[in-house]
Amino acid sequence: MTRVTDSSWKLTDAQLRAWLSGLLDGNSVVAPVEEDGVLLFRPIASAHQAVIKPSGKTRWSPKEFLFPRSEALYRYSFKGGTVQLEDPPVPEKHQVLFGVRSCDASGLVRLDEIFLSGTTDRLYSARRENTTVVSTACAAADQECFCTAVGYSPVGEEGSDVQLVPMDEGWLLRVLTDKGRDLVGDSAEGWKAATAKDGKRLPELEKKVSKQIERSPVNREWSKVLEEGFEHGAWDRLAQHCLGCSVCAYVCPSCSCFDMNHEANAWCGEQCRSWDACTFPLFTHHASGHNPRETKQERYRQRVLHKFAFREEDDEPFRCVGCGRCVALCPAGLDIVNTVAAAVEAIREEGADAAR
Amino acid sequence: MTEANVTAAQSGTGSVPENWQPHIVALVCNWCSYAGADMAGTTRLEYPANVRMVRFPCTGRMSPLMILRAFEQGADGVLVSGCHPGDCHYVQGNLVARRRFTIFRSLMDFIGIDLKRLHFAWVSAAEGHKWAKVVSEVTASVQEAGPLPSFDHPEGWDGIDLPEMAGSGPQELDEDQLNAIRDNLRKAASEVLTGGRAGSVIGYGPGSLANQTIPLFITEAADCEKLEWGQGCRNNLSTYVGSALDKHERVAVVAKTCDLGAISGLIREGQLRREQLVVIGVQCPGVRDGPGLATKCLSCSGDPHPICDLVVTVDGVRESCEDPSAAALDTPDARDEQIAYLETLPHDERWKYWQRQFGRCLRCYACRAACPLCYCSTCITDKHRPQWVPTSIDHPGNSTWNIIRAVHLAGRCSGCDECARVCPADIRLDLINRKLSLEVERQYGKIGLDPEKKSALVDFRMEDSEEFIL
Repeated sequence: MTRVTDSSWKLTDAQLRAWLSGLLDGNSVVAPVEEDGVLLFRPIASAHQAVIKPSGKTRWSPKEFLFPRSEALYRYSFKGGTVQLEDPPVPEKHQVLFGVRSCDASGLVRLDEIFLSGTTDRLYSARRENTTVVSTACAAADQECFCTAVGYSPVGEEGSDVQLVPMDEGWLLRVLTDKGRDLVGDSAEGWKAATAKDGKRLPELEKKVSKQIERSPVNREWSKVLEEGFEHGAWDRLAQHCLGCSVCAYVCPSCSCFDMNHEANAWCGEQCRSWDACTFPLFTHHASGHNPRETKQERYRQRVLHKFAFREEDDEPFRCVGCGRCVALCPAGLDIVNTVAAAVEAIREEGADAAR
Repeated sequence: MTEANVTAAQSGTGSVPENWQPHIVALVCNWCSYAGADMAGTTRLEYPANVRMVRFPCTGRMSPLMILRAFEQGADGVLVSGCHPGDCHYVQGNLVARRRFTIFRSLMDFIGIDLKRLHFAWVSAAEGHKWAKVVSEVTASVQEAGPLPSFDHPEGWDGIDLPEMAGSGPQELDEDQLNAIRDNLRKAASEVLTGGRAGSVIGYGPGSLANQTIPLFITEAADCEKLEWGQGCRNNLSTYVGSALDKHERVAVVAKTCDLGAISGLIREGQLRREQLVVIGVQCPGVRDGPGLATKCLSCSGDPHPICDLVVTVDGVRESCEDPSAAALDTPDARDEQIAYLETLPHDERWKYWQRQFGRCLRCYACRAACPLCYCSTCITDKHRPQWVPTSIDHPGNSTWNIIRAVHLAGRCSGCDECARVCPADIRLDLINRKLSLEVERQYGKIGLDPEKKSALVDFRMEDSEEFIL
């Protein structure tokens, strides 16, 4: 996508709401809303439902609007003595993901790498084509945030078509792609063009938020160390309190694993693709009964290494975007950054082959 | 997304289609009610044709899951029928089932299933007339209730504001007192290890976020210095005891009073033996859940319970290990008011309330993983031959999962609230568990902390109440 410059404006809160309101005409707009005290992405019916804040995350990422928790790949029904097959229709209405934090927008790009490289996934790519992402940069870090420790930024542009930057008052709106320009369209008439001074807000925020994140960075060379120490005994200790649920994977913006399941009754049914997670024993359970990842330690290691190792090129980004949700929501308080650091330290000190 | 539901589409609009006829699934026992229905047929009795029968060996074989399955597949009503008490072909199947249905029925009512849809009857092989009468009554009742409300996210629904929960919570402890308790705990744990009373101590270590701890497994006395104590000690560590016992003959576990029910439950159900454990009860300042105290703490004194082997307080450590046979946790629960309020609402409001919550469920199974009493080696939801619980992360399987999880813990749940704490979607599983506990207590009495007492749903009395059974 081409990069568009000189397309930034300074909006008041009211102008932003008015724009959001306009987007509801013709688009399906998905934005953070509060439901029973939980901040979640939901399709909204009016602009006032949306919770657009300078900082703070939804409970989980908006990935389900590109990669639904469960979706039918085909359906069938028995009618008149024959089987009728049906391809579920690809959603036609244009979708706007509004108020996506920078880390989550990057998470969507990590998903693209899975679903759009090699064999393109029909349903995912149709949704992706039909989606515009309006991200919001962060003016403050939550206590679990660590994006800057893993190579991402609180004001990152990756994955965004339009970026909203919180100012002291109002918002800086930056168009980053053609898709973003189309979304803004004529609405920009009457908006105040941003000045170069407004643009300085980005590095300012980056500096401010980075300071709030008191985490030592995950070094890129660690990927190799982790891979070499795959069989290291430290994993046994590091994951012994993992309970084997999948909170971490399901709230993660970049986890993309799924399972095929079948839902049916006597009349009709469907083959579905549903979220699954490497932390579950069934994920790798073979039909023969053999399970190559038999213990929770092996399963947890898989998740950690899939985020921070197994990279084809050295300059590939980590698959962990640093939102910190898995740290905040893990029932056992497992911390992926601390785990990586501890594993690397143990592997370096005791040698990659230190036994379990 | 999943649209394998047959009649659900009809409902939700508020208008019942003209000439609408209910679908009713009858789960019947082979020996009595099935034969009774046969008798009705051979006697040429006429009754409504809305009922589809599924034959079971015994009502004792009927899991609430099968009733849920019928609703999930589009039944508007379910009738469960079997032998009269005393007539069971397997002696006591129907007596155990009667308790199970009593409790399940109250839960279905609580989550918004109008009880006009869910009926139970005793019909013997000789009672052809009764079968015809029961089916007529049930059909009329389901007809009155109308189509089953849809398993769906209630779009545009404003939600319910539950009453605020109040309670004084445990005695407040200042920093010095907490430090004293922490020091005493470290000392106690270290003595347990050096004295050879246990091979491992499971306690809390420092977590990476404020008010967060992580479970810590200590085998060296020197590491006891890492033990933490405070409002971040939220986990119920008895979840880890089983795996620790794989490595050690005896294990010591740090326990808050709210964790003790689970330990008793594990002993009661033969998962642990008391002598394998050293329970270190610690004076608790209450635990944090979000900005405030966790709900379970609102009505708790925080005092360690005397049935623990070691009791750690501000003042020191003492041996205790009182007889648990009379031990109870007799505290009011701040949630009861919320439950009572929900029960004043009409069924359709309750249904929406729970459908919205269940709709958020991600099926991460953290509730199951964190629950000390969810110890099955293969969970019912992971069984797929046949697939009992739909695995699509969506309605209606989400409802089935959340209901069946609670039902499997009915009469067993110790109220430690771990499931509700770990739920990323903030589903009020604690309300469901508490509702079930209240109902079990009301019907069959309290079980307390005595591991020798049988839990209510694996037990029965001939005289158990059955006023709802036709």
